[in-house]
Amino acid sequence: MLRRIYRCVLRLHPPAFRSRFGDEILSIFDQAKGKLSGFQLLMDSMLSLIRQWTLRPEFWRKSVSAPTPHAALDGIPSFGTLNPFRPRAAGVVPGLILSIAIFSLTCIAIKYSWIHVLHVRIPEVQFQEPQWIPPNTSQPVFPDRTAASMPHDQPAMSNVPNAHDRTPKAASRAASNPSTPSAVASKAHKNGAVQPLPFPQPTAQQSKGNEIALTSPESEQTAAQPLAATAPSTFAEDMTLGAAARHRVIDGTSAIVRKYYVDAELAQKMAIALQDHETNGDDNEATDGPTFADLLTSQMREVSHDQHVAVIYSAVKTTENSPAPSAEEVARYTKEMKQNNCTFEKVSILPRNIGYLKFNSFPDASICGPTAAAAMAKLNHADAIIFDLRDNPGGHANIVALIATYLVDRPTHLNDFYDRSQNSTEESWTLPPVPGNRLADKPAFVLTSSTTFSAAEGFSYDLKMLKRATLVGERTSGRGHMGAPHRIDDHFTIRVPSMKVSNPISKTNWEGTGVEPDVKVKAADALRTAINLAESNLQKK
Amino acid sequence: MDDDLHSFLPLSPATLHILLSLAGEDLHGYGIMQEVARQSEGKYKLGPGTLYDNLQKLIQREWVEELGRRAGDDDPRRRYYRLTLAGRRVLEAEIARLAEVVREARARLQIARPSTGKPRRV
Repeated sequence: MLRRIYRCVLRLHPPAFRSRFGDEILSIFDQAKGKLSGFQLLMDSMLSLIRQWTLRPEFWRKSVSAPTPHAALDGIPSFGTLNPFRPRAAGVVPGLILSIAIFSLTCIAIKYSWIHVLHVRIPEVQFQEPQWIPPNTSQPVFPDRTAASMPHDQPAMSNVPNAHDRTPKAASRAASNPSTPSAVASKAHKNGAVQPLPFPQPTAQQSKGNEIALTSPESEQTAAQPLAATAPSTFAEDMTLGAAARHRVIDGTSAIVRKYYVDAELAQKMAIALQDHETNGDDNEATDGPTFADLLTSQMREVSHDQHVAVIYSAVKTTENSPAPSAEEVARYTKEMKQNNCTFEKVSILPRNIGYLKFNSFPDASICGPTAAAAMAKLNHADAIIFDLRDNPGGHANIVALIATYLVDRPTHLNDFYDRSQNSTEESWTLPPVPGNRLADKPAFVLTSSTTFSAAEGFSYDLKMLKRATLVGERTSGRGHMGAPHRIDDHFTIRVPSMKVSNPISKTNWEGTGVEPDVKVKAADALRTAINLAESNLQKK
Repeated sequence: MDDDLHSFLPLSPATLHILLSLAGEDLHGYGIMQEVARQSEGKYKLGPGTLYDNLQKLIQREWVEELGRRAGDDDPRRRYYRLTLAGRRVLEAEIARLAEVVREARARLQIARPSTGKPRRV
């Protein structure tokens, strides 16, 4: 065995050294084996290996037995290799088979291994869709990467908590009578709640603000959305902004902020700040669109410290109204969700009968309700349950309520959605208890990370406030406000958080602060920690 | 020529021992290792990696030459090595240098010996 290892180490030496001295060294090994310890010999060869490759480059290719270099023919490139060894032709076939076998085994291991040692993230391009709901949308939708509101007239499966069967307090607009004028009026918006892009648009907008892209990459896509429906630009990019044009933009910005921004007081302050800066002549230098947009953004952030507020400049004209998603887009979203199993990545029973559910968004319950219900049904007999939201960027409020339903024994008030523009508040409640559900009193754990966003934060926060789950992991990102881009004029758009979530217990939300876990560990260690907690919890019983 | 030789001095312990072991007779690699161990009374042990690294260098400098295999040897893989004239001259130069060092050291130590006690008061 030792000799084999020794030979391997010798083989790793530079070819010249190996071919000249390899046999002799091995002969010494054979002779000295009894006299010198095998370990010493091995260490010596290791040191020699390092020394030959690092300190002796001049000997790498020099060897008495080295083949003479081929004379390069004119115009034909020649290649040199460190190792003159050439495999037998017959050896290629087994080599090929072995390579394919190893590759296949690795793929299978990545796909099916229970412990995700390799977190291979396959970028889901189609998921890069807009999240921001336009103004006046009637259904609370958390901004996320998968959101696309769907019609609500789809049949619910029998094991799905029935959204039409709620207590009056649990009223959601999805369940409201469609014949009322307001519901009819809002129906058009429902389909248009979030418009998925056909594919990521190469953005023509001139926004220089990288921080905008960082705080909410999706919003820029939404802002750029009208581009898809607009004729090619006739706008001259080098057009300079005069004082009058700036004044119009500032007026428009102030009006929108005053009307939509979640906090009326801060909105007023921002509007005043913008006007003060204009009066003081601070804006005079900004004569091009992108600079001016950035300037306005920073002036408002100075006052509000809200990184979600942003003025975005687009070189191409934006249209008046954002088009509603076509039937085709709706169908594509549905198809995507079906193909992705509604982003439910893993449903399994871990040792000691601990249920584990990993899902990577909160998809629309009208499409994915049955999938969520099936997942919960599979875990129904578990003694404890772990929800893995570490890769969950959020989504729809209706599925937050649906999944939370399994953890409580009666309809429970989860959240209030306050819409500044309408000055209305909508309550979100869990649905009536699911018959046969056994999870209502089982210990629950939620795994969080710094990239747990929005609705996923809502789910964690609600369960924490209800003292219904133990949160394990990292503090979440802190996105508790929702908003949409509003058109200021042909080239300027503003993103304003207009809707906020408020928890009935804490009377506040996680905006900016994030949701603090009960047990703070690194996201990578969260599952192990939660399993340990669950096991010790079950042992006590 | 002498200047050239002196630019290589002092020799590393491994080089010195290898040259010294080949000064008496032609040896194969394992023979060199055994001879080095004998000369140093087992205090200096040379591993094969270090040995051949040095031999590679010595052959390149032409201080040692390879004689190839010997018919009738126990192990046909063994090759023998011999000290060249240049190698011998380097070795001699190094030994002369060392002798000078030893002589100097002895003289110093003799002078130094009485002062090793406690500082005397005058």
